Amino acid sequence: MSTMTLYADRDSVIHNHVSPLTKVLYVVVSIAITYIYPDLLFVLLVTIFSGMILTLGKVFRRILPILAISIILIISIVIVQGFFNPENQTELFSIGFLTFYKEGISYAALLTLRVFNMIMAFGVLILTTKHDELVEAFIRKGLSPKIGYVLLSVLQLIPQMRATMGKIADAQASRGMETKGNLSVRMKAFFPLIGPVVLNSLNSTRERAIALEVRGFNTGIKKTFLNAAKEYHHQGFIQLILWLVLLGTIVWRILI
Amino acid sequence: MSIIQVEGLKYKYPNTDKLALNDVSFEVKEGEFIGLVGRNKAGKSTLCFALAGLVPHFFSGGYGGKVIVNGLEVRHHEVGEISTHVGLVFENPFSQMTGSKTNVFEEIAFGLENIGLERKQIIERVNTSLELLDITALKDKNPFDLSGGQMQRVAIASVIAMRPKILILDEPTSQLDPQGSEEVFRVVENLSKEGMTIIMAEHKIDKVAHYADRILLMDDAKMIDFDVPEKVFSRDDLQEHGIEPPVVTRIAKALGIRKQGSDDYPVTIKGFTQEIGDKL
Amino acid sequence: MSNRSMWSLKLSTAAIALIPAAIGINYLGKLVAGLLKLPLWLDSIGTVLSAMLAGPIIGALSGIINNIIYGVTADPISTVYAITSGVIGLIVGVMAYKGWLKNFKTVIVVGLVVGLAAAVISTPLNLIFWGGQTGNVWGDAFYAFLVSNDVPVWLASFGDSVIVDVPDKLATVIVSYLIFKGLPNNFISIFQGQDKIEEL
Ligand SMILES: Nc1ncnc2c1ncn2[C@@H]1O[C@H](COP(=O)(O)OP(=O)(O)OP(=O)(O)O)[C@@H](O)[C@H]1O
Ligand SMILES: [Mg+2]
Repeated sequence: MSTMTLYADRDSVIHNHVSPLTKVLYVVVSIAITYIYPDLLFVLLVTIFSGMILTLGKVFRRILPILAISIILIISIVIVQGFFNPENQTELFSIGFLTFYKEGISYAALLTLRVFNMIMAFGVLILTTKHDELVEAFIRKGLSPKIGYVLLSVLQLIPQMRATMGKIADAQASRGMETKGNLSVRMKAFFPLIGPVVLNSLNSTRERAIALEVRGFNTGIKKTFLNAAKEYHHQGFIQLILWLVLLGTIVWRILI
Repeated sequence: MSIIQVEGLKYKYPNTDKLALNDVSFEVKEGEFIGLVGRNKAGKSTLCFALAGLVPHFFSGGYGGKVIVNGLEVRHHEVGEISTHVGLVFENPFSQMTGSKTNVFEEIAFGLENIGLERKQIIERVNTSLELLDITALKDKNPFDLSGGQMQRVAIASVIAMRPKILILDEPTSQLDPQGSEEVFRVVENLSKEGMTIIMAEHKIDKVAHYADRILLMDDAKMIDFDVPEKVFSRDDLQEHGIEPPVVTRIAKALGIRKQGSDDYPVTIKGFTQEIGDKL
Repeated sequence: MSNRSMWSLKLSTAAIALIPAAIGINYLGKLVAGLLKLPLWLDSIGTVLSAMLAGPIIGALSGIINNIIYGVTADPISTVYAITSGVIGLIVGVMAYKGWLKNFKTVIVVGLVVGLAAAVISTPLNLIFWGGQTGNVWGDAFYAFLVSNDVPVWLASFGDSVIVDVPDKLATVIVSYLIFKGLPNNFISIFQGQDKIEEL
C-alpha cells in the first residue's frame, strides 16, 4: 500500500542538514517576501534562489510536474492581464482585435514568478522532508498529537480509498452502469459510485476510533516518541537569517 | 479475588429504548479462558465494550451496575487508563490499524507512545510483543500490506504491548480465511498459557469448546448461563438460544455417551475419546 | 440532538477519526466528478458531511487540513484556499446545529450561503495571490469580460469566484445532505461527543 507523498529520498545537504522546521520557515519567508516587495527583479532572484536550493537538494527535476499543474492558472494570468489589465497603456503587440500591453504583461510576469516561487519553496519542504519526521517535529513544538495523527493517517487513507473506489467502479461498470452519455446520465452515476465508499469509510471511522481509544489515544498523558529526534546543527543561525531577511524586506518596502 | 467482577450491569445505547445488557452479573478468576457465545445481537460485543470501558465512556447512553477489572471500577476511569489493564481486539483487522504508521514496529509502538513510555521501554515491549505473536519477521512491513491473519496478529500485539492482564477478543477470526483464523487461535492459546485472562466472543463453537474453561451464554441482553463447556453445551434449550452444540457433543448425544458420573456430554474430541476409552 | 455546545473543544476520538475520512471523501468526490466529467468539482463533500455530523470545529479542521494535505502532496497552490475550506466547514456546522438541515428548501439556503461565503473569502485571496483570477476557464473568461467593461478588479474577481463557487457548493451541500439523511441513526450519536451518561 502506498503512502501519498512527494518525498524524494536523496543524500543531500538539504535532506541531511536542514531541519524540517527550518524548511517550513523558509517556505513562509520566501513566499512572504515576494508579496511584500513587488519588484520583478527581486522576485526573480528569490525564485532563482529557491531553484538553487532544490538543485542542492537534488530534486529540481521533481518540481517540474508540480509546476505543470498550475499551468492553466498561469496561462490565464498572462492572457487576462496582458489583454485586460486596467493599467494597460503601452501597446506591445496585437493578435487580431486583441492587444497585449506592456503593463499587463509585466504584472503577469510578476504574478507568474510569485506562483513559481511559491511552488518551488513548497518543493524545498515537501520533496526533501519525510512526512512523519515533519509531523513529529511539529508535535514536539506543541502541535496537538491528535492533529498530528490526522495528518499522517490521511496520507495512507486516501490511497486505500482510491483502491476501494476502483473496485467499486469496476463492479458498477460490470453491472452495466452508464458513466458516459449526457449530463444527467453521468450525474446519476455519481451516487452509486461514491455512496458505498462513503458509508464504508464512515463505518470504519467508528471502529478505528475504538481501536485508537483502547490504545491510549485519549489519555491526558504527554506523548513520547519511538523515534529519537534527528539532531541538526546551526538551525538557530539559519532561522535567524531567515527572520532577518523577512524583517529587512519589510523595512525596505516601507522605506522605498 | 476475581480479576473481573460484573454486578447488575445494565446498559442502553443512546437513542434506543431496549437494554443491550440487562442485569448481567458474573466473576472471572485470573488466568481463566472464557468463551462468550450467543446468537446475533445477543449483546456479546456490548459486553466486551463494557469490560473495556468503551461502554459507557465512548458510546455514552444509559448505564447501571458495576464493572470492576483488575481492581479498577470502569465507570470512574478513562478508557485510556483501562487500556493498560484490559486489551480489546475486534473483528475487522483493517480498521484496527491506526493508519498513521508505516511499519508494523511503529504500529505496535503507537499505544506505548500515547501512554508516555520511555523510548527504551517502548522498543523492549514492542520486541516482546512481536515475539509473543510470532510476527518479528513482519516488523518492517507496512501494516496494510499484510494478510488479514497477520494484520489481526499485529492488532493483538499492539494491545498486548500495553501489558494488560485481561485480553478481550470479539470474534477475532470472523473476517479471516481458515489459515488466518488458525494463526490467530494459535497465538490466543499461547497467551492463555502464559497466564493471561481471556474473554473471547466467538461463533465457531467447536473452537470455543476446545479452548474455554467456562462458557458465558447470552441471549437477548441477558446472561443465560455461565459454566463449564460440558454443562452449557449439554443444555436442552441450547438451540432455543440460537446456539448449535459442538459437533462432538452432537455425536455423543446421538450415541448416548455422557461424561462419567454426570449427565453432561463431552465437548471436545479429547473428552470424547476419553469417555469411549473408559467405556471400552 | 446533543445538548452540549457546538463549540466544545473537547473533541471525541470518533470526531477526530472522522477528519481523515472526510478528507478522503473530498478526494473521492473530486476524483469521481472528474471521472464522470461533471462540470463541478464536488471536492468538499467530506468537509460538509463532517460538519453536519460533528459540528463546526471538526468541519473547519477538515477543511483546513484538507487543503494543507492537498498542498503538500499534490498542488501547493491549494494551501492558499485552506481558509476558504475552513469557513465552509464552519458555516455548515453552525447552520446544521441551528436547525437549517430541516428540509430540502433550507438545505438549498445553506448551499447558497456556503457558496457566497466561499466566494467572499476567496476573492481577497485571489486578488492578493494572482491578481484576481481563479484559474477556472469559465470564471476567468467572465472576469476578463467584466474587467474589459470597466468593472473594478475586485468586483470582477468576486464575480469570477461567484460563478465558480456558488453552483459547486450548492451541489456539494445537496449531495452531502442526501448522504447524511441516508445514514443510520445510531451512527450519528457517536460523532457528537460525550453526552451525559444516564443512570439506570
Ligand atoms: N451503536 C449502537 N447503537 C444502538 N444500538 C446498538 C449499537 N450497537 C449495537 N446495538 C444493539 O445492541 C444490541 C446488542 O448488539 P451487540 O452488537 O452487542 O450483539 P452481538 O451479540 O455482538 O451480535 P453479533 O453476533 O451480531 O456481533 C443489538 O440489539 C444491537 O442492535
Ligand atoms: Mg458482535
